Amino acid sequence: MHIVTFAFATAISYVLAVVSYLIFPVLGAPGVSALYVASAIYVPLGIWMGLWGCLAGYMSCFFLGLYPSGYSPVQSFIWSWADFIEAFVPLLIYRALKADLDFTVKRPRAAKLLPFFVSSGSILLLLGIVIQVLWGVAYGEPFTTIYVVLVYLGAALAVVGIILGLLAGNARTWLAQILSIIATGVCSGLWGAGTLTIFNFPPPLPAELFWPVFVGWVLSDYIVLSVISTALLIALTPVFKRTGLLVKGWWA
Amino acid sequence: MPTVLGELAGIEARSERYMDLHVLAKIVVPLSISLSLPFAKEPLQALLLVAVSAIACAAAGIHLSALKKFLAVIVSMSAFIVLAFSLFTYIPGRVLYEATLWKVQAEKGVFEWKIAVTDTGLLYSAAFILRIFAMILSATLLLASVTDRDLVWGLFSLKMPFGVCVAASLFFRGIHLFVSDFYTVREAMSARGVDFERTPLVKRFTLYANALIPLLSLMITRSYEVSMALESRGIAPGSRSASGYHLYRMRRSDYAAVAAGIALTLAFAAWGWLA
Repeated sequence: MHIVTFAFATAISYVLAVVSYLIFPVLGAPGVSALYVASAIYVPLGIWMGLWGCLAGYMSCFFLGLYPSGYSPVQSFIWSWADFIEAFVPLLIYRALKADLDFTVKRPRAAKLLPFFVSSGSILLLLGIVIQVLWGVAYGEPFTTIYVVLVYLGAALAVVGIILGLLAGNARTWLAQILSIIATGVCSGLWGAGTLTIFNFPPPLPAELFWPVFVGWVLSDYIVLSVISTALLIALTPVFKRTGLLVKGWWA
Repeated sequence: MPTVLGELAGIEARSERYMDLHVLAKIVVPLSISLSLPFAKEPLQALLLVAVSAIACAAAGIHLSALKKFLAVIVSMSAFIVLAFSLFTYIPGRVLYEATLWKVQAEKGVFEWKIAVTDTGLLYSAAFILRIFAMILSATLLLASVTDRDLVWGLFSLKMPFGVCVAASLFFRGIHLFVSDFYTVREAMSARGVDFERTPLVKRFTLYANALIPLLSLMITRSYEVSMALESRGIAPGSRSASGYHLYRMRRSDYAAVAAGIALTLAFAAWGWLA
């Protein structure tokens, strides 16, 4: 049943990936969407079905790379590991924290506010770091002040998000979910934007475009993972538990 | 049997001789073009690779008008590349145009954001843009000539287990099933009073995001039914077919196509290494 679900999930992720890319494209970076809804499917699937979900992410991204993005088969083969990583990082965090998949919401208001605080806090943190890396180190003020303000503000919002998560329900599960959202965007963004601009056979875009593509990639992931993916985890985890599709190890 | 790109965008290879090739040959030809891409660093090398890709597409009976489907990709990537070489970095060379966009007196010097178009920058851009053409043509050649039956029979001929063959087949069927499920769910939402035409974009996005829950539930139900059907026929994921209904052998033309592909990659590797 896992193989069949994996095949169908790959198909769904592929269709959603194409739709997301066509409706919300990051201009100039084919296959990169400002709102990549497909990740809301295979990231929870990685948590539910282990490496089957990661594989679904990889295959859907591979086909997205070929059409409509138009990358060569080799470029797409390398680039698609970004989506594998995107599903693998949350899986790793859940397994490392031994978090039970109990998404029962005890305080609905906290659960509703959580995506806003986590995603906006992480976005501000990321922007602050990018400004510091690109200009703050070389030019100092006023970029350093902008960096400090964004990092403090972002960290404060993210901490509020984490506290809300701990209040929302099972503390360990929600902590794993928040850490997954934050780490996933950065890890897959590094590989995804890196293989589009710095290392591939050959990179389709110039290296100078790394930061614009990286920022677009991570912002999209934060929004989709905190809003849609979390909602799907809450709604469908009981269904996966009931049907025996839930994977406790890596494959079964 | 429609090809992968035929089903997705209506682009198909029309040459019967090319379509008769073994799936391995049909994969090796575009793969060799994509393997040659890293060696095409100069505009001339990239231009030659574009010509080779275009000839391969023409030999397969793919009209170059198929590129229209990738027009948005080509235009946006080209613009982005030119911007990258003029707005985000300075490529030394003969300056053709220069303008300062933003100037700030910072603590450690003056920060300037300039547009600087140089002849070397334009040459770099040309090489990148030509490689995009080659890349798109190789992807088109692959997807417009490979059918899902090719893939499944190809996997069978490679003695792959049923699990892999069934998964490949279900992926293609799954695309259609998902689209049809989506319309069913959308109609159900409309029947309950949702007017998609008049709903604002943000609200519509939320509605579609909510629709993912029934769509995934339907996927689970369907997976259960299909896996039960497979099990009742005695098809286990690891079992392999001892014989098949279809003979799928490599012929002389297939070996020739594979050899041409390998020769192309070796030639570009040698040219890139010598240049």
